[in-house]
Amino acid sequence: MVPAYVLIAPAILAAGVFLYVPIVFSGYWSFTEYSGLGAAKWVGLGNYTELLGDADFRKALFNTFVFVLLGMGIGPVLGLLSALLLNQSARLRGFFRAAYFIPVMTSLVVVATIWKIMLQEEGIINQILSVFGVPARSWLDGTTTALPSVVATSIWQGFGFETVVFLAALQSIPRDYYDAARVDGAGYWQQVRHITLPSLRPTIMFVYIIGIIGSFQVFDQIFVMTAGGPINSTRTLVFDLYERFNRLNLGEASAVAYVLLAILATLSYVQIFLFERRR
Amino acid sequence: MLRAVRTVLALSFALMLLGACTGGGDEGEEQGGAVTITVLDYYGEATPFSEDVIAGFEAKYPDIKVAYEAGDWDTMHEKFTVRVSSGDSPDVATMDMTWIPTFASKGIFANLTDLSGGQLNGAPIEDAYTPGALEAMTYEGNYVTMMFDFDAYSLYYRSDHFKDKGIEVPTNWDELQAAAGQLAEDTNGDGECDKYCFVVEGNDCFHWCQFLFQDGGSILNADNTAAAFNSPEGLSAMEYYKSFLDDGSGMYWGEAQGEKIRGVKDERIGMFMDGPYFMGIMKDGAPDQSGMWGVTQAPYSKEPGSYLGGTGLSIPVNAPHPDQAWTFIQYMLELPQQIGVYTLAGAAPATSAALESPELSKPDPYFGDEAPFPVFMDAMATATHFPYVPAWDEVDTTIGNMVQSVMLGKATPEQALADGEAEANQELAG
Repeated sequence: MVPAYVLIAPAILAAGVFLYVPIVFSGYWSFTEYSGLGAAKWVGLGNYTELLGDADFRKALFNTFVFVLLGMGIGPVLGLLSALLLNQSARLRGFFRAAYFIPVMTSLVVVATIWKIMLQEEGIINQILSVFGVPARSWLDGTTTALPSVVATSIWQGFGFETVVFLAALQSIPRDYYDAARVDGAGYWQQVRHITLPSLRPTIMFVYIIGIIGSFQVFDQIFVMTAGGPINSTRTLVFDLYERFNRLNLGEASAVAYVLLAILATLSYVQIFLFERRR
Repeated sequence: MLRAVRTVLALSFALMLLGACTGGGDEGEEQGGAVTITVLDYYGEATPFSEDVIAGFEAKYPDIKVAYEAGDWDTMHEKFTVRVSSGDSPDVATMDMTWIPTFASKGIFANLTDLSGGQLNGAPIEDAYTPGALEAMTYEGNYVTMMFDFDAYSLYYRSDHFKDKGIEVPTNWDELQAAAGQLAEDTNGDGECDKYCFVVEGNDCFHWCQFLFQDGGSILNADNTAAAFNSPEGLSAMEYYKSFLDDGSGMYWGEAQGEKIRGVKDERIGMFMDGPYFMGIMKDGAPDQSGMWGVTQAPYSKEPGSYLGGTGLSIPVNAPHPDQAWTFIQYMLELPQQIGVYTLAGAAPATSAALESPELSKPDPYFGDEAPFPVFMDAMATATHFPYVPAWDEVDTTIGNMVQSVMLGKATPEQALADGEAEANQELAG
């Protein structure tokens, strides 16, 4: 009989080498001044206090929260609404499910590049808006429009995933519940409120936890569409980390990573706590 | 007992796996006794590191093989950063000269003064370069890179439309503004230029800083300890640069617009400042515009001025084969390979011998049978490199944001300069 340790050794090794060891090293480096070469110099909490006083980091933190609030405020709601619509009728459900999911399967870099072109002054978005009398503008050049434009791109790319997840969950709700509710005289929205949404609670929690973690880690769209600009208006935490790494400030970059980890761990705990308490 | 044996077996298996994952680092290094060096190149498709050039090196030095890795400028910075910090350094890497302060201040580069013994291809290094280039290659008294091509800005303009519209080639700021106004077209009547515009770029120091230099200003003070751009010269340079957008002759070109060659190709751009490397980009990206462009000295207000940059060849401090890498660098700096920088990549070679080569002064059909290269050589003679301070990347970003905030109308020039100065001083203080 093969020992259990042997069976799990590859997975443990892979996780250890590529996940836990880097996490431990990164944690250590976050308390050091380190360029990747030579010895790391211990600076205690220096990198963290440096971040607190850094306007670029504070801007990145603010932008990231705005990105998460906008993205998670709109994306899952759109996903749920489209899932509810698709759940109404079996006709064309497969077509729309596939259509919504195609952007999810498309490389984010490709999506971002296409949207970058569409959002230019002479792009198709302005051509469509001009029908409604909206003046043309370069959406990614405006400090107030760049971040919402990137959020819109991300929502477009991601809400198909939420639609498919919600649709699967909707189809697993027993029809008896709705039949009983209808017998009791419940209307459509009453059914949604008292049957659908409570039944979807674990799915909603899953979508929000995954979505919030993904939104906090936004990078590809920013890198391709704006490079953090204009004037840092789309600089996010991971982009900030990337820039610090690029300057070989591995200590500061690690500190940013740990700040991000702390935020995500706290938010995930709060979410799970709230959902568990309501159960 | 059986449990202990199982545990030992499991651990042994795990170690074997670990060995399989990490072993073999030096395998394949030696090919019939020859040492293989890795060369990272960011030139792209039109590269002076051509197969023929590398084959020539391997024929000349049979004990050294070259593992050539093609890359691009956009990703080279992070690729190099990852390779060096993970202990997988290349032996030779092309480095943008503006990256030198950041990397050199972290101790990333091998000391080429020691490695070379002060000699390049049998002659003193000082004999091979102009004083400006030597200064740009030096960090804290030692050579950390060997300049391979240089970059200094001149004015590219649509010579065919200059001729059609009777526009004189500008030599000073007033003439440049007048020429931009005559050349620009507003085809949709929205009051903004959309064809043959003068390009206003605001993402970094490259473009605005040359106006600062031309007006007699400087980025930092003499000992590089504080920002000096918040000055009367800085203010007039900022107001002048912004005026192209205000009078409708300029087009803002930021990250959102993508590569500038797109604007050249679709004729939104009629005039812009850039370096000699852009000649190659134009020939590749807009071959149908051959004969329609000219290059002239960048117009100035008080004195000619440009940033001095380009490409250096550096050896990381943890490169596996520094001596063979230095041999390769010397080979690439020989005259034929230096001329190849121009003939193969359309860029400007950096050594004095190459700069004097008649090959570089030949008429160029793309530029109306004029010889554009001497224009860039003149620009190089009066160009200065960006300050070599460890915080240059941060200061550069701050200046980029400052210029952008003015060009996008988010701040007045006075306010932006004052804010930029405060931020830059904070960054310089560390």
